[in-house]
Amino acid sequence: MISLIFFLSVGLLLFSSLFLLARRNTRPEGSSSALVEARQALRTLQAGLLPLELVNRVFAEQDWEYVRSETPRSIHELFLDERKGLALLWLRQVRIQIRSLQRFHRGAARHYARLNPRTEVELALSFAALMGACRALQFLVFVAGPYAAPRMVGVVANAANRACKISEQSLGFLDKARLGALGHASDAAML
Amino acid sequence: MSRWLIMGLGLLLEFLLLGRGLQVRLIRRYYFFYVYVASVIFFTAVMMLVNWTAPSLYERWYWPLQLGTLITGYGILLEILNHVLAPYPGAERFARFSGLGAFGAILSFALLAPLVVPHWSRGSIEFERDLRSVQAVFICGLLAVIFYYGIGMGRNMKGMIMGYGLYILTSLVSLAVRSYAGTRFDQIWQVIQPLSFNVSLVIWLLALWSYCPNPTPDHMIPLEEDYGALVARTKGVMGAIRTYIGKAERA
Repeated sequence: MISLIFFLSVGLLLFSSLFLLARRNTRPEGSSSALVEARQALRTLQAGLLPLELVNRVFAEQDWEYVRSETPRSIHELFLDERKGLALLWLRQVRIQIRSLQRFHRGAARHYARLNPRTEVELALSFAALMGACRALQFLVFVAGPYAAPRMVGVVANAANRACKISEQSLGFLDKARLGALGHASDAAML
Repeated sequence: MSRWLIMGLGLLLEFLLLGRGLQVRLIRRYYFFYVYVASVIFFTAVMMLVNWTAPSLYERWYWPLQLGTLITGYGILLEILNHVLAPYPGAERFARFSGLGAFGAILSFALLAPLVVPHWSRGSIEFERDLRSVQAVFICGLLAVIFYYGIGMGRNMKGMIMGYGLYILTSLVSLAVRSYAGTRFDQIWQVIQPLSFNVSLVIWLLALWSYCPNPTPDHMIPLEEDYGALVARTKGVMGAIRTYIGKAERA
């Protein structure tokens, strides 16, 4: 019976892998267009979504104190819901950064003949742990609300900004000239 | 009787696959795969001949010939390694590493289990089941590397993996059940095995009807740094993000 369960489990694993293969897109990841997209997304985040001053303004506790003292209870709930949505959006941006970095690392690492499988496994586990930490934070905000941990939003903002800056360094080799060339290449490929 | 009809249909499909491979010159590109197909044609033809002329010899001939196709079947895995992962030396190295690990793990299990687990049977069916499970785990490891590194595949290679994977899956499950249930499962097993192989042949025929190369990234990114520097940089970024997330959790 033990052997039957073991080999059926191996069969189930193979079935799942084949199922994923059947559903998978044949296009390779890490193409130049994907890198250009990652670079542009990073710029949009840095320029439009993550400036610290803007975030501090949006999440200012004084707003909550004002709303609490000057408006009826129904408005309080609406206000808190909106602020919670913003905090969750923030954490989503951090996760996007981590995922983007992981995609970039995989896209580059697969070309190195001297790749160290052990290091790759360690990195994959670290990425998974980071994503898990982000999920946990999202859960905390979802359950306890945006003002449950007052300093959290500011710290998350710093984290997101910092992640953007470092990711920018990661994509630094894509200078303007090369980025333009890649953009043209991907446009041509699309046509 | 139905078993021989299914095998006869299979033989027809095998000849069609080989003929098409010759016609569109895919044999040159996927040499190991077509060696496997040829070995299966030889096996099927010999077994059909033996069954008609001397049925008493069937059991004795089955296993050595089946072992031959099992070994040539590993050629398909080599083909996948060569064609899908060759443009990605890092991913290929990872796949070889995980493939060897899987092979070692299953081999150790097959060698140690009979010593540890009481009533563990060690016949030819069990041996074939163990070898099929090595192939199954190897395919899983290979696909995990392909998924993780986002490597694209053309219709030829995708079909090759799907067809062979489905056959391995059916064989593994039916051999495991046959080993557990005993001879009462024989009638079903003898139909399922060739039938699942015919399904694989149809998949291969469709996937290998014409040449379809694997897609490659549309623009190669110049690698100006070594792997160590890439890992160090990635770890640096992750460390920074982790620190900030840790602070956020404590806040």
